[in-house]
This record gives sequence, structure tokens and C-alpha cells, in this order.
Amino acid sequence: MTGRQVSVTVFWVTLGAILLPWLATPVADGNEKFRLKPGAEGKLCLDCHSDFTLKLKSRFVHTPVKTGNCTGCHSPHTSAHGKLLSASTRSICLTCHEDVLPEKARSAHRPVIEGRCGTCHDPHASSYKGNLSKNGNELCVGCHTTVVDTAAKAKFPHLPVSDGCLDCHNPHASTAATRLLRSPLPALCIECHQPDAGFTKQHGGYPVGTANCVSCHAAHGSNTRGILFDTVHAPVAGKACTQCHNPPTAAQPFATTRTGFELCRGCHGKTMNETFGKTRVHWPLLDKTGCLNCHEAHASRKPKLLNVDEAALCGRCHGETTAFQRRLTEKAKQEKPRSKSRVEIGSLTHDPVQRGTCSACHSPHASNSTRLLNQESTVELCGGCHDWLKHESHPMGERYRDKRSKNLSVDCLSCHRSHGTGYRYLIAFPTPTELCVQCHKQQKR
Amino acid sequence: MRRLVGSLLIIGSLAGLGHDAMAAQAGRLRYLAAVYLDDQGHGMRQPEAVACNDRSALVVADTGGGRLLRYTVGDWDAKPAGEIRAPELSLPVRVQMNSKDEVFALDGARRRVVRFNANGTFKGYLAPEGIPAPASVVPRSLAIDRNDTIYLLDIFSARVLVLDPNGRYVRAVPFPKDHGFFSDVAVDSRGTIYLVDSITTTVYATRKSPGEFAPLAKSLRAHVTFPTSIVVDGRGIIYVVDQAGGGIVLLDRDGTVLGRQLAMGWNEGLVRSPSQLCINDKGQVFVADRGNSRVQIFSIAR
Repeated sequence: MTGRQVSVTVFWVTLGAILLPWLATPVADGNEKFRLKPGAEGKLCLDCHSDFTLKLKSRFVHTPVKTGNCTGCHSPHTSAHGKLLSASTRSICLTCHEDVLPEKARSAHRPVIEGRCGTCHDPHASSYKGNLSKNGNELCVGCHTTVVDTAAKAKFPHLPVSDGCLDCHNPHASTAATRLLRSPLPALCIECHQPDAGFTKQHGGYPVGTANCVSCHAAHGSNTRGILFDTVHAPVAGKACTQCHNPPTAAQPFATTRTGFELCRGCHGKTMNETFGKTRVHWPLLDKTGCLNCHEAHASRKPKLLNVDEAALCGRCHGETTAFQRRLTEKAKQEKPRSKSRVEIGSLTHDPVQRGTCSACHSPHASNSTRLLNQESTVELCGGCHDWLKHESHPMGERYRDKRSKNLSVDCLSCHRSHGTGYRYLIAFPTPTELCVQCHKQQKR
Repeated sequence: MRRLVGSLLIIGSLAGLGHDAMAAQAGRLRYLAAVYLDDQGHGMRQPEAVACNDRSALVVADTGGGRLLRYTVGDWDAKPAGEIRAPELSLPVRVQMNSKDEVFALDGARRRVVRFNANGTFKGYLAPEGIPAPASVVPRSLAIDRNDTIYLLDIFSARVLVLDPNGRYVRAVPFPKDHGFFSDVAVDSRGTIYLVDSITTTVYATRKSPGEFAPLAKSLRAHVTFPTSIVVDGRGIIYVVDQAGGGIVLLDRDGTVLGRQLAMGWNEGLVRSPSQLCINDKGQVFVADRGNSRVQIFSIAR
């Protein structure tokens, strides 16, 4: 090594030695920033915040707290943030713990995204590792009540669920998979369930080691043997996979023997004949995906093997309708307080739509009516619930023509829109008077 | 520096002017007339489709009546010219005409395209010949270009089938990945094929490559609710029919929104659940106003 090389090395080592303590400091050094007296750091704060003395005896203490660096997170004089924090919780925590939210995360926990670290962690000290405010699943149940309750009551539980959610999920974010899973499926499942000969036999000889396990199994436990979802498609329950798929020995064993509705027609002939016997078929039923646009092929949490709840299912395509319902519900809530002095009559929303029971009025498969209504006559359809309209209402039916368009007869939709309009009584005009004078022009003032 | 700022301002204004000029060229729809009756004085019921040509012919799919109605178009209105009724057609939901005045009607109940001669007699079904696998076809809509080439929107096999005037297979263009649901197909004078996705409210086109669909622009969510039909006029202006929102959105060739026309209502000039429209060389726009059981005629005011 030449003299020049030695001096360069010495320079870098010295520079490193000078900078290392500064780089290692996790948060801004409050001593310099606030010109605190020597030794006045956390000790000074504890003079007033004496209740922290007990807290500091906890098993796990946050490093800045342990080192008395209260000003690492708090601004002792004034602050624009709650609890005199020197910045938002998200930016304070991410200063040191930036790795909890990777840039290329495929999924992330909502509290992490929103910087609500305090939902799970005690920022000062805790009896649990990672400064968690509760231990193990007790913490998760605080928000994920339904999942944990269902899992606890399941007749056939999945053991890792009782062991701890972190067996399968990352608490902050996952770069590998959706739903905070540690690894993508089926790799995660295979860690425990080796796809050996016995496993393959259990699955009718199909190489399910490469399949999506949660298309049949409820990962959090279920009331059906084999922790299958509660509604199981009959061929799956009977292990008759070849009713739909190629034989397990085929080159493409998971490929279905037919596509779209043609596959389902083999067993559901009666339903299909009824459907195709109607003049109007719901178009998505006829596309490449067919019945699976709405139904699961193997098993489902929902009755009738629906993919999701009815409202959410219809909302996937008719999202504008469901979004409008949410806006109407909000409007109804906002208008309620104002109506204390005078009683508001006439609803802004239609009950079946609010309950998400689209099938109360529509036939999801097919119908002889436009808009896939359950009945051809709107009057008959609405009269199913609003029975008074058949004997005590504005004249309706083919005999009565709509004055605005001579090809229309008067029916419920002449005045109302069943999904709501933003006006009370679901009418298309701000007031009933404005509606009525559309036809009764002589009454217009 | 002043020169630079001045130049930038001029360029900016010219850019704006270009868009405004295009929007003005697209024009506004001005109400002309409404068509309610057939030649016997009977009303139409929930018409879902219209087809027109440059020879003053208009065909209306009287969907609720299970028939086709013919009209002769004048400067301000349309006069009834008979009906086409055939047992092979029970629920016409789309209708097109070729250069020989033959009528192609999609039967929504049986999901097949019925072909009629110019005199209204049944010619046969449009049965695509020589199509590659998969052999199953479920047509959702169709378009016909100036050369009588037929574009069939096949939702079952996720493709647009391009057929010669006799129904023989020419080529197929597969649907793009990650689409929602395609409700209609259109073709312009340059041979570009357009698709409208009702769910993602996106227009796709084969502009960049004739064998591949790509989004023309971003989703039209801010402008439409549930688009179900698409037409391109002779100047390349794209008309997207917003059935649920009761209106028509105009786009230029690049997918830039030029404006929204018409509004929801019962009175003449307003529409309820418009289904399909067509435009002739006179600039007359015919709208199948399903919810009001009529066809309305508009002119393009520039």
C-alpha cells in the first residue's frame, strides 16, 4: 500500500468515525435543537410526567423513551399535532421504521397506510414484544371481530388461526401477496400441507399443489368437513371433479370440458331452459365467463354459491347505481336534523335497494321484461309490496295514456324512479306539484 | 423573456382554440321531430335500435312489438314505409343496413342475426362460415362498414369476428385483457374498430394495430353512467350512448371528450334509456328512445 493510499484510507475511516454517531441517531437530537441543559433530557420531562416512571418499568420500552429522547418525537413547546408531537405519527414512526411500508408492497394494513401505528403499538412501553398494546390474536380481534368470532365458532377450525394470525399474515405489509399474506397461494399453504401422494389422492388425483386453495377452503375455518366453505357445489362435495374438469391425468387437468354457460348446462338444464325460455337473458351470463360472473364454481361463504353479497355482486357492474344509493343515504341522514321542526314525508330511498336485495324486483338470470324485472307489468311488480296502489291511486294501466309520449301508458315509473332521484317520494322533479303539472298543464300556475 | 412568454401564450391559446374548434365541429344536437307510429297508426313499443343510410332509409327495431319498421326520411321528419315482421325475429335489439339496403337484425331472444332482403323478405341467418375454434358464437351486436364487411361482437368467445358480406370468416380480433363487458361495436371509414365497455366506461379501438384493441383514452366515468352503444360518423366523431344516464357523449378520434348532449326526460327532445343511434350523410341523428317508446330525430347544429 502506497503512502497516498494509506492517507486516503485514514481520511475515510476518520470521516466515518465522525459521521457514524450522527447517522446512527434515529431521530433529531433534541438536546441541540432545544438547547437543553446537560442531563436534562427525559429526566426533565419525568419531573412532571411522573406516571411514566411506572411505564418505564415495562418489559419492552421504545428505544427513544429508554434513552430519554422525548424530543425525538415530541415538541416540548408548541405543535400543530396532537400530544405535542413534532410531526404526524406516520412521518415520525417512518423516520426510523421506514421498512414497515415497502415501496412495492402488494398489500398493506390500513392502519399502517394511514399512519395509525398507535392502533396496535404503544409508542412508549408495553409488556408485549414489539411494543404491542395487546398480545397475539387479542390485538387483531379488536378490529377483525367477525373473522375471529367466526373462526372461534367454526366446527372445523384451521389450527394456525388459533396459533396466531402472524402464522400466515404480515402485520404491516406484504411484497409477496395480497391480503397481507406472507407468501402467495398456494406456496403459503404448501409450507404445512405437503402435496404428497396422500394429499393428491385426497383431492381426487388432481395436482392441487398448484391450485388456488381458497377457491374451496375457508382459511379461517368453517362448519363443513375439510374446512370447505359452507356452501359447496355438489360435484366438489362428491369429489366428482371430472363432471367439469378434464381427467387428472390429462395434460391440462384443470381445464374445463366446456366454457361459459355451456359447462353448467349439463347439470343445470332445468334452470338453463327456464332462463333461455325468457326473451331477455342477462348478457353477462352469455359471455366467456358465464355463470361464474356471479357464482363460485367450487364453494362459497354465500348461499347459492354467490361470489359475494347480492348488493356487492350487482354493484360490481352496476357500480353507479350502488354509489348513487350511498349518496342518497347520506343525503337522507343530512336532511334528517333539519326536519325536526317540520315532519319530512316521502322517502329519498327505496327499501329493497337500500337492503341490497336487487332480486326483489329484478331477475338476475332472465326475464320477459326490459330491465330484467320480475314481472312484465310495473304496476303488478310494485303492487306486490305497495298493494294499496291497485285500488287507491292515480289511474294506471294500458287504458291511460301518458300525455308526454303517446306510446306510453301511465304506470308507477311515469312518476317515480325505483332507484331514487334525490327528491322525496322518488319522483323525478323537486316537488309533487312540478311533477303533476307535466301532464296536468292546465293546473300550472 | 417577454418573447418566450408571448410565444407560449400564443401556442397555449391555439391549442385551446383547436380543441374548441373541434368541439364546435362536433356540434350540438337540435331536436327536429319524434316518430311514434307505423303506417297503420299503431305505436311502437320500447324500440332499442335504429339503422339509417344515405338513401333516406330508416329502419327501427320495434323491440317490444317484435318487428322492424321502415321509414323514409325527409328533411324534417320520417314517413312510415311499412313493417318487416317474420317468425324468425321475435326481439330485435340491434339493427344495421348494408349498401344494398339489406337489413341485419340481432334477435335478442334467440341471439342470432336475421338477414332480410331490401324488399323486407327473410333471406336467412347470418351464420359465420369457416371461423376458427372456438366455434360457439353469441352475438351481442354488429356493425357494417361501407364495403359491407360485417363486424360481429361475439361475447361468448371474447372476440370481434370480421366477416365478408356473405358471412365468410376474414379475421378475428380478440378482446383486450381486463375488460368489463362489451355492449357494442362500431367501425369508422378508416376501418378502425371500436368497442364500448359498459362497466369500465371505456372505449377501445384498433387504432395502433388492426389486430389488437387498446383503450382510446381513460375511462369516461366522469361523463357517462352506463354506456351501451357506440357509433362513428363520417368525420370520425364518436358518439357514445349513455343508456342509464340518458345522454350522448361525443369524442374525437383521440378519445378527447367534446361534450355531452341530450338529457333525461319525457318531453320531446329529452330521452329515457336511449339504446342506439345512427347518423346519415345529411347530419341527421336518429335516437332509439326506448324509455319513451319513440325514435327522435335531431340535426347536428354547428
